[in-house]
Amino acid sequence: MAGRRAALKAVDWAAFAERVPPNQRAMYNALKTRSDALTARLAALPEKPPAIDWAFYKANVAKAGMVDEFQKKFSALKVPEPVDTQTAKIDAQEKEAAKSTAEYVQASKARIAQYEQQLQKLKNMIPFEQMTFEDLHEAFPETKLDKEKYPYWPHKPIADL
Amino acid sequence: VVCSVLHATRQLHTTQQSLAPLPPLPEKGGEVRHGLIPEEFFQFLYPKTGVTGPYMLGTGLVLYLLSKEIYVVNHETVASACILGVIIYGIKRFGPDVAAFADKLNEEKVAKALAVKNEAIESLQTAIEEEKKEQWRVEGRSYLFDAKRNNVAMLLEANYRERLMMVYNEVKKRLDYQVAMQTLKKQKEQDYMIQWVEKNVIQSITPQQQKESIAKCILDLKALSKGAHAAV
Repeated sequence: MAGRRAALKAVDWAAFAERVPPNQRAMYNALKTRSDALTARLAALPEKPPAIDWAFYKANVAKAGMVDEFQKKFSALKVPEPVDTQTAKIDAQEKEAAKSTAEYVQASKARIAQYEQQLQKLKNMIPFEQMTFEDLHEAFPETKLDKEKYPYWPHKPIADL
Repeated sequence: VVCSVLHATRQLHTTQQSLAPLPPLPEKGGEVRHGLIPEEFFQFLYPKTGVTGPYMLGTGLVLYLLSKEIYVVNHETVASACILGVIIYGIKRFGPDVAAFADKLNEEKVAKALAVKNEAIESLQTAIEEEKKEQWRVEGRSYLFDAKRNNVAMLLEANYRERLMMVYNEVKKRLDYQVAMQTLKKQKEQDYMIQWVEKNVIQSITPQQQKESIAKCILDLKALSKGAHAAV
């Protein structure tokens, strides 16, 4: 699509700003300022340059044929459109991002499942008043005293007391 | 005097199997009467002998032992009586305080463990919240790419328009230059012509003509002044 009129999609900056995590604020601000600068620059330029009044020049310029020559060359001139090299890259980036996002979301969901599991375990625990030490070691394995590694009381390094 | 459950009903850990969850410990310890004798003894004898039964049994036993001299009264009797008295007094006076202290120790341990557990629950819940939030954030990535593409399109468009303007300006400049040159030339020619005509005219005025014209001027002035005099 080599159209000049690549449609500008309206970007909802407010919604965008909401979703930016705080550690990427600076990048977001830089992008926004750049975008705004470009919009301003675009708005300052007229869409078409004003038409040249050939009749006036033909009447006033004495040199014969000069105006005609200019007019001929001017209307024959085609201004080349700038070539778009970046959109393809941006699309590739977007695909990359989509992939990595899917991975991240999956990992995140796995993490959530893990947390939920632990949460359930903790919630369904019996109250401490009704536990024996063995029950405590079952619920919190880190409280179990390692009787093989430290066969003598207090079964853990003195520094940990 | 409250009747408490016989402790024999609390299960003993005879096998390896865990009996969790154990029923919670009873609120109060076993009741004692007179500081030493468990309430269960009185309850045991109540059906057969009523309220006074255990006291009668006690009195009878003591009298029997004394009268038959099975128990001989000697120095140690006095000592044991004093010791018993002190023990009973100590239990009655300090019992509840010691119980409260021991309970507090236990409470603290349990409260610490409970705090740890609650903290763990809270941190897990916040972690889940954070993960959900991150997922929501990630959904907004399309904004970024839209913004980028917009930027690129705007840049291209601005560039193109700038080029058009440049072409227009350059051509106009050149045409305007030609027109300006021409007007300047015409103006210079005109000025020079006027100057030349003036110079020639001044040259062509001969001294004779000058005298005649001055005389005429003076006559005119005289006439004018006469006319003004008359008007005033």
